[in-house]
Amino acid sequence: MVFSSILFLFMYLPVVLGVYYIVPRKWRNPWLLFSNLVFYGWGEPVYIALMLFSMIFNFIGGKYVGKYRAVDKKKSKTILVFVIIVNLGMLAFFKYYNLFVNTLDIIPGLDISTLNIALPIGISFYTFQKMSYSIDIYRGDSDAQKSFISFGTFVSLFPQLIAGPIVRYKDIASQLNFRARSAEQFASGVRRITIGLAKKVLIANNIGKLWDTYSIMASSDLSVVGSWLGIIAFSLQIYFDFSGYSDMAIGLGRMLGFEFLENFNYPYISKSVTEFWRRWHISLGSWFRDYVYIPLGGNRKGKYRQLLNITIVWALTGFWHGASWTFMLWGLYYAAFLIFEKLFWLEKLEKAPKFVGHFYTVLVAVCGWVLFQLSSLAKCGVYYKAMFGFGDGGFIRPVDGFYAASFAVVFAIAIIACTPLAKNLYNKLSEKAQAVTTPILIVLGLVVCTGYLVDATYNPFLYFRF
Amino acid sequence: MTKRSSWVQIIIFIAFIALFFVLSLALPNKGFSERENRELTQAPAFSFDALFSKKFSTKFESYTTDQFPFRDNWTTLKARCELATGKDENKGVYLCSGGTLIEAYEAPDQKQLDTNIAAVKSFAENSEVPVYFALIPSNSEIHSNILPRNAPIDSQKDVIDYCYANSGADNIDIYSGLAAHADEYIFYRTDHHWTSLGAYYGYESIMKSMGFTPTPLSSFSPKIVSDEFYGTVYSKSGISWVKPDSIEIYAEQNASTEVTNYSTNEPVVGTMYDYSFLNKKDKYSIFMGGNTPLVTIKTANTDAPSILILRDSYTDSLIPYLQGNFSEIYVMDLRYYKTQLINSTVSDYVKGNGIDEVLVCYSVYNFGTDTNVFLLS
Repeated sequence: MVFSSILFLFMYLPVVLGVYYIVPRKWRNPWLLFSNLVFYGWGEPVYIALMLFSMIFNFIGGKYVGKYRAVDKKKSKTILVFVIIVNLGMLAFFKYYNLFVNTLDIIPGLDISTLNIALPIGISFYTFQKMSYSIDIYRGDSDAQKSFISFGTFVSLFPQLIAGPIVRYKDIASQLNFRARSAEQFASGVRRITIGLAKKVLIANNIGKLWDTYSIMASSDLSVVGSWLGIIAFSLQIYFDFSGYSDMAIGLGRMLGFEFLENFNYPYISKSVTEFWRRWHISLGSWFRDYVYIPLGGNRKGKYRQLLNITIVWALTGFWHGASWTFMLWGLYYAAFLIFEKLFWLEKLEKAPKFVGHFYTVLVAVCGWVLFQLSSLAKCGVYYKAMFGFGDGGFIRPVDGFYAASFAVVFAIAIIACTPLAKNLYNKLSEKAQAVTTPILIVLGLVVCTGYLVDATYNPFLYFRF
Repeated sequence: MTKRSSWVQIIIFIAFIALFFVLSLALPNKGFSERENRELTQAPAFSFDALFSKKFSTKFESYTTDQFPFRDNWTTLKARCELATGKDENKGVYLCSGGTLIEAYEAPDQKQLDTNIAAVKSFAENSEVPVYFALIPSNSEIHSNILPRNAPIDSQKDVIDYCYANSGADNIDIYSGLAAHADEYIFYRTDHHWTSLGAYYGYESIMKSMGFTPTPLSSFSPKIVSDEFYGTVYSKSGISWVKPDSIEIYAEQNASTEVTNYSTNEPVVGTMYDYSFLNKKDKYSIFMGGNTPLVTIKTANTDAPSILILRDSYTDSLIPYLQGNFSEIYVMDLRYYKTQLINSTVSDYVKGNGIDEVLVCYSVYNFGTDTNVFLLS
């Protein structure tokens, strides 16, 4: 199930919230656990079994890591390594098996067949989340959860289950056992969901159609202007899609009494790539920092080791995004900029006028999305060529003007929404003015989003086509 | 935020989702959507098979969306928002001046088009009687002047030229006949078909190519049979605030003309105008009563030649004009007649009925996409 659907907003959510607030407190976690499994199993019922297995396995694993932590550190470590291997093994099997097989098949004489397995939705997110649980216990950063229900509620918590943020156990451990109830928290959840929904439905889905057009355009039709228009549209689409989803997750969490950490912080206003990655998908970046970069030695083992660590972390970060080597390349692309900044560029950037840093960062991010989103290097090559004037489509085509005009308003809204401008204006309003405008904006946002969601299946039968 | 304004926000949100939750459960399910011209999804039956094959969840999702309370108002709202934010179209339909809805035309798959042309060519070359070929452009071509500048709409003229260069048949220039009258009411504003007037200009072009004298337009006295026709493009667009079309009839069915429908192999008395469709959504089907595999028509002009038309729905509003020029008119739809063509060919049919001329008449869109044209060869 996805948040941006009629089914979720007008069926699932009213029932889940209604029961949640009616039943006695002690029944809330069991009810949430049940709701989580319905949410997860909706699209792929068989994977409930996978979820339950991984829940039980990690619960027991965490318990024994914790049990031996003080008395037998070595044993505790052995168990932890086993837990990590099983988790990564499942991720590798479900997500990367076919890629590995296809890659190995390049070797002559080898012919392993691929498997027709659907990727369990959200597996990349919840695998990381579960691994952090046992690792934190081993490190003494948190204790093992005693209640299986509470643990199950945490690992399958529906707001963050399928698209993040990656919530760590230690951050919400206390909330699992007791959640205070406050109108302020619930109301901030309402505002956050509305914002997230609008970002996803009104901006991301809308501007995404432009990218759909340009991403499949024949190279002879792809002009310089058109290719930039297309990839800028995608840059906006992925930001509003992803951060909109995180906003909805945070908002839904608040409605249930949970506080998740922020996942995005206006990444496109960054003045360096280093800063960009501190503002983009924060929960993933910090996960890799805490569980890969620092254990590898971070910056404590000399300059060359640090550069190697950065390279490893970013190759893995890229690869996490999808089962294709182009994602790893995308990660390495960022590693190159991050290393370059660390060695020479960052100091110079800080001295340069602000717009230099902004322009450079956005340029790197936008060009990076080509690598991220087009499925093969050949396609990336064609697209880059078009962007930099070496393509077959010339500088501009009449249709580019049409698209630019059609999407001008959406572009303008999206670009303004990439900055904290609206938020700052809102915060300048008096308390009274906020009390008036907020409900109006919520109603407006919900009504318009509902229109777009209902229209999503607007799929008339047209008899002349038959 | 004060406690009071927090509660206001909470109540708004909860009321909004709860209201539509309750209404969804309380309101009866709808069957046919007049507006969208299709059957809306009904609640799927639950079974474990359906659940595990994901059919249940997929269908249930479209059920909740299809049956969402006030669905038509929501889709209108979406269309209005799209147009208000500077778009010229919604769902691939452009809103043009005068409330004209024009559907974007996309050039067909080259392979399919070549297959279809090859079929026409082979049929024409092997035929003992003259084979005429007419492609009818739609309003995205004829009314391209009212479309937004540079809109990504492919040329139908290019497709016609390409087809005519390779057809091997006697090509009929419908395009010029329509283009010369572009400022008249020759296409519906909300439907993809030509109007009866548009069909007349098509008829005129066909007659001139065949060397016959068309019945002059002035000899007809048109009458309006409906002024509340909302066509397929309207249904597709979600742009629900445009005015409806009117349907006019120019050539009445002559008293002596006999129409016979072969929906199955059994002949049934048919008609050129089935007025019962005026009470339905699909009002264009007043012409000939909609798609039928095979229709035969006998007129009083027994000395005139006979003709076979390989049709799509555009032909239906054209047929009444042909009464004055032909003795027998055979109208075959390859899409529906194909089962009868397993053991015989169209050529056999031509010979068997002593037909004098054949007209392959399609809209440009259908000719480029139809997968049954190969049955000709």
